Amino acid sequence: MSSPLLPDYRTQSPEVAARFERLRAREVALSVRGLTKNFETPRGIITALNDVSFEVHKRELLSVIGPSGCGKSTLVRILAGLETATSGEVRVYDQPVSGAGPDRGMVFQSYTLFPWLTVKQNVMFGPKIAGRSNYHAESEARQWIELVGLTKFENSYPHQLSGGMKQRVAIARALANQPRVLFMDEPFGALDAQTRCQMQSYLLEIWKNVDITIVFITHDLDEAVYLSDRILVLDANPGRVRELIEVPVPRPRSFQQFVEPEFISTRHHIDSLIHPTQSHVREEFPVLKFTKDDPDVV
Amino acid sequence: MSSTGHQWFAVRRDLPPGRRLTLTILSFVLPLGIWCFFSYVPWIWHPDVRIELSADREDVTTVFTAGDHVSRDYFPTFVQAVRDENAAVMALRDSGAAESGAKRKNQKLLRQLAPLAIANGWLPRGEEQNDAALYTLWRDLATGAKVSAKPVLTEENLKIVRDNWEKMSAISPEFSFKTLPETTLLKLLPQGKPANPAYLPEPHQVIITGYHDFTAEPANDAPSMGERYRSSLRIILLGFLWACAIGIPIGILCGVFDFFSKLFEPFIDFFRYMPAPTFSTLLVAVLLAGDAPKIALIFIGTFFQLVLVVSKTTRLLEPSLLEAAQTLGAKPRQLLAHVVLPGILPNLYNDLRILLGWAWTWLVIAELIGVKSGLTEFIETQGRFRNFDRVYPVIILIGLTGFISDQFLAWLHGLLFPWAGKSDRFSRNLVRSITWPVRTLAAAIRKRLAGSPPASV
Repeated sequence: MSSPLLPDYRTQSPEVAARFERLRAREVALSVRGLTKNFETPRGIITALNDVSFEVHKRELLSVIGPSGCGKSTLVRILAGLETATSGEVRVYDQPVSGAGPDRGMVFQSYTLFPWLTVKQNVMFGPKIAGRSNYHAESEARQWIELVGLTKFENSYPHQLSGGMKQRVAIARALANQPRVLFMDEPFGALDAQTRCQMQSYLLEIWKNVDITIVFITHDLDEAVYLSDRILVLDANPGRVRELIEVPVPRPRSFQQFVEPEFISTRHHIDSLIHPTQSHVREEFPVLKFTKDDPDVV
Repeated sequence: MSSTGHQWFAVRRDLPPGRRLTLTILSFVLPLGIWCFFSYVPWIWHPDVRIELSADREDVTTVFTAGDHVSRDYFPTFVQAVRDENAAVMALRDSGAAESGAKRKNQKLLRQLAPLAIANGWLPRGEEQNDAALYTLWRDLATGAKVSAKPVLTEENLKIVRDNWEKMSAISPEFSFKTLPETTLLKLLPQGKPANPAYLPEPHQVIITGYHDFTAEPANDAPSMGERYRSSLRIILLGFLWACAIGIPIGILCGVFDFFSKLFEPFIDFFRYMPAPTFSTLLVAVLLAGDAPKIALIFIGTFFQLVLVVSKTTRLLEPSLLEAAQTLGAKPRQLLAHVVLPGILPNLYNDLRILLGWAWTWLVIAELIGVKSGLTEFIETQGRFRNFDRVYPVIILIGLTGFISDQFLAWLHGLLFPWAGKSDRFSRNLVRSITWPVRTLAAAIRKRLAGSPPASV
């Protein structure tokens, strides 16, 4: 499928290759082994995830992408402990986990800020639940709010914030809990295109400054390539690992890289994995004419 | 209509504030206007005649007194009957037959003027049998010293007044039973004016009697209107608060834990279909007379609905908020206290507002069971006497209480839950000023703490 004009996505520059070498040598932050999830429905058992295994290294940013219905949301919900797997094992820093816990943070697509709490109180929620004093929780919360650049809004209520600001608060709230792994379930999916780009850069900036391992669920190819070290591509029906891709685009990332050959080839490759039947679909369009031919409209 | 101009009838579009206010006012003025229209435009409807001056008839047991309603068709027959009786008296008088023993009858006849005297303010209420005063009134009306305005006496009646006074004054200028004429005097002919049926009194009538009832000292041991009002409020609030105190925790538990939902809700769902009033006799038998069975009835009427409504509201809480809290490390009990409770509070508050409205409807039934009491007892009693002008003020009072308290609670919603995003600037500023001392104090303490952080830091 790949175009002869583009380099193979597996071709890595020496710096990138060396970086992946170092990344692989790091401690394993999250390891998933043989994860299977079956749903019982009146029409029989549906397998959402089938024997999914992968590892995420410390301070890695791994994206999970796949066609709709591939179970990427189910996967991240199981990892966060919001759902139970039918079989398989999840380990965080080699400790098996079950159920939700403060060691695994989560940022949801829907803004899940507590509407009755101010920005600051939202960020303080985790530490307070863990029994930290008001004084400590508050001074820490201030720092996290500063990190996401919302100091001016620390006493605002969520309904007074824009979508992008809400997600920044959600990120600050998750980080304030100092989780070992942060799951992000299509966090920018509900934002408009411009805000989404802004938020992607924000996230990279935050990731640079905070010791955190991120598993990022998305359906946006550009987003996945732009953000990630590696991309886990899932197949649909049943959801299983199709390929784990090392992104050959060097860091630090910028939007200028969107037009560079390694970016395009990686994007192209993932596209062909996710939408293999796209060309067929186009052929099946009915050929009907409702207007005269217009040379300016093609 | 230009594209920028606001149309009155745009599908699902809000009108500008000025028009909304106009319509809000109109929504109250319109029904009042219809009421006034039917009450004050004389040729609209008015199927009755309200008697202002009545007359007793010979050998007829039905007695009409001033204030009674008779049908418009019957009234001329009534007047003609009295006129015929007068003609008979005149005929007897003309025949020259000796007549005696009419003193008692004439005394009653004197009192025909009593309602008129009261209406004109010449005689205080309750003095209907002050014959001396009435005697003088006959004189004054006959000589023209006094002219009745309510009602204006007809020529025919004035002639009768003069005729009678001639007979009376011939014997004595002062009242004395002994000196009343022995011959039958003439009866005043009934007078009245068109009126609507008793169940539709005029607005001003309702206001006047309402004012009178609310301010008057009650007769005998009957409670005053204020006492009735307080007793009704007490019953409704106690019943409602008991229902809340027990119902809200159960409702929340049902909404959160399937265990409680399956344990309680099926039975409650069944029980709520049994109308609360059907338990009234049982409640009186168990709790005896007094307020207890009434409070219990309001409890039964609201409790079962409340549990179901609260559990539904609890279930409607955004599940992702619970999940978010879980990923932040919240344990089940913390979820309940830190997420479920604050999360459902604004909706719960609105539920309770609606349920309080329901409690008002149960109040009427509750006050009728056992020993009738409160506002309802008044409505019930006066309704039986067809004194609807006394009934309406009380009904309106109940309506106003419910409406105003609900509007107040709705406004309070914005005040209590500024984060629900429905508060206006006025409420926010009010809260800010009320909480100002507390916030200033807290800020000062924080500053002090920040200045000298604890040793552990």
